[in-house]
Amino acid sequence: MMRSIPPLKLVLYGGILLGFVMLESPLIMLANQVEPMVLGMPFFFFWNLAWWFAITVLFLIAYLTDWGSHTGRRHEEGTS
Amino acid sequence: MIGSILIIAAFLIIPLIVGVVSARQAQATSEDFFVQGRAMGSVAVFFTVAATWWSAFAFLGSNATFYTSGPVYLTALAWNLLFGLMYYWVGKRVWFLGKRFDYLTPSDLLGDFYSSETLRILVAAIALVFTVPYLQIQLTGGAYLIEVASQGAIPFWLAALLFYFVIIVYVWIGGIRAIAWTDVIYGALLFFGMMFAGYYISTHVGGPAALFAELNQSSPAHLSLPGPNGDMGYPMWFSLFAITAIGAFMGPQIWLRMYSVKSGRLFNLMPFLLGLAAFAYFGSVLSGYSGVLLEPDVANPDQILPIMLVNYAPYLLASLIMAAGASAAMSTANSQIHAVSTVVTLDIYQRYLDPKASQARIVNVGRLSLVGFSLVAYVMALTVPGVLVTIGIAALAGTAQLIVPTVGAITWRRAHPTAAIWGLLGGTGCVLLLTFTPLTSAPFGYHAGIWGLALNTALFVGLSLALRRRDSEVVERFAKARHDYDAQYHPERIDTEAAPLQASYTQR
Repeated sequence: MMRSIPPLKLVLYGGILLGFVMLESPLIMLANQVEPMVLGMPFFFFWNLAWWFAITVLFLIAYLTDWGSHTGRRHEEGTS
Repeated sequence: MIGSILIIAAFLIIPLIVGVVSARQAQATSEDFFVQGRAMGSVAVFFTVAATWWSAFAFLGSNATFYTSGPVYLTALAWNLLFGLMYYWVGKRVWFLGKRFDYLTPSDLLGDFYSSETLRILVAAIALVFTVPYLQIQLTGGAYLIEVASQGAIPFWLAALLFYFVIIVYVWIGGIRAIAWTDVIYGALLFFGMMFAGYYISTHVGGPAALFAELNQSSPAHLSLPGPNGDMGYPMWFSLFAITAIGAFMGPQIWLRMYSVKSGRLFNLMPFLLGLAAFAYFGSVLSGYSGVLLEPDVANPDQILPIMLVNYAPYLLASLIMAAGASAAMSTANSQIHAVSTVVTLDIYQRYLDPKASQARIVNVGRLSLVGFSLVAYVMALTVPGVLVTIGIAALAGTAQLIVPTVGAITWRRAHPTAAIWGLLGGTGCVLLLTFTPLTSAPFGYHAGIWGLALNTALFVGLSLALRRRDSEVVERFAKARHDYDAQYHPERIDTEAAPLQASYTQR
C-alpha cells in the first residue's frame, strides 16, 4: 500500500538532502578552490556559506509549514 | 587588572544569583530536578540546547583548527544543520515516547523498548564513560581562559576549582531549571563573544576581505582542503561532520533536553535556530586565520584565541571575550555534570540499589553524585593533558554509537535487543581499539567513530533481520505509540481510515 507524500514535504526533504549532498558528499572536493574569490572570500568558503544559507532557509520554511505535514496547530499539547 | 578580576567575579557570581532565584520555582520531585517537570519553554530550551551543544570545543577548538589545519572545521556549518535536523526528527519522537512512558534517561527508553537489563546497563555505561573526558576538556578550556584573563593571578588549579564550585552550587539548589536559566546568559555571551572576537581581531589585518587576500598570498594551503599539513582532507571533513553532530546529540545532557521540552511544536523550530546560530563560526574563521598572519608560531594552538586577545585587544574587551569563552565551557560542563548525575542516580542507584527511595532521597543522591563526578573531572583536568579537539572527538565517537539502537527504537518494530547489544559493543569496541591502541590507525583517513558506526549499523541491521522478537506485547505498545505520533504530527503517514491499524504498523 502506498502512502502519498505531500508535495511540499517532498520538496523540503529533497532540498535539505540536496544541500547535505553538496556540503558533505565527495562532491565538496569539486568546490575545494580558493579562486575565484566571491564577496571577498575564497570560493570554498562561499560554497559552504551558500548551501548553509539555503538549508537554513529551508528549515525556516519547514517550521512555518509544519514540516510539510498538514497537522495544524490545533493538535498541539495533550499528547499523553 | 582590577577590571578583569571584576569581570571574572561577575561571571562567577551572576549564575549563582540566577540559580538561587530559579530554585524558588523548584518542586521537590525528581522529575522537576532532572527534566523540569517536562515543562521547559521555548527561550530556555533553545539557549540551553545551543549553549550545551556549543562548548569549549567550539570556542577554542575551532580557532585552533583553522589556525593549524586549514578549513576542515568549516564542516561545522553542516554539522550544526545535522544536529538541528536530528533534534527535530529523532528528538521529537524521543520526547513523545518520554512523555508517554515517563522516561528520564537514555537507558529508560532503550531499556524499555528492547526490554533488556543488559542493554540498560550498557547504555548507562556508554553515557558515563564517554561523557567524562568531554567534561574534562570543558574544564581545561574554561579554567585556562580564566587563568589568562586574570594574567595568572588566578592559577589554573584555582580557576578550575572556582569553576566547579559555582556549577555545583547552582545545580545543587536549582537542578536543570537553574542550568537552563544560566545557559540563557552564557549562550548570549558565547555567540556574541565568538563573532565579535573574530571581527575585532581581523581588523588588525585590514578586515575579512583583506585577511583572505593576504592569506592567499602568504599561505594558500590554509584556504583549501587538506590544509597546510596535508592531513585534513575529505575523510576528516566527513568524519568530523558525522561524529560531532551525532556524538553530541546522543550525549545524556542533550537527551535530557529532549525530555524536558514542554511543547512538541518547539522541535519544529529548533533546526532553524540551531542552524542559524552556526554563523558564529565565521568569527572563528576570522580569528584563527588572523592568527596565521599575526602570531604564526604559537606552540599550543588551543591558546591562539586568548593569546591574540591579550596581544591585540584592549584588556577589558579581551577579558569579556574570554569570559564568553569560559561561558561556552561552563554551559556545557554544568549540563554534563547534571546529566551524568541523573544517569547514576536513576539508572544505577534507584534501579538497582534502592528502588523504593523517596523523591527527596533521589534528588539528594543526584546532588551528591554531582559532587562526585565533578571531583573526578577536576582531577582529570589537572592530570590528563591533551588537545581539546582530539579528546573531544574520541569521546563523541563513543556516545555517537547510541544513535543506532535509538533510531531502531523509534522507527523499526523488528529492532532486536541482541542486535542492539552486539551493535553497541562492536561500535564502541571499534572506537576504543582504533583510538587507544598503537597497532592500528583508522583506515582510509576516516575517524574511528565512522568505522564504529558502520560496524554497529551492520551488526544491528543484520542481527535484527536474522532474529525474531518474542516480546510482542512491548513491540505492539511501541507500534501503537508510533502510530499515535504519526496521527498527531504526520497524518499523511497514516493510511485511510478504512485500512486496518495493523497495516500501517507493519510498513514501518
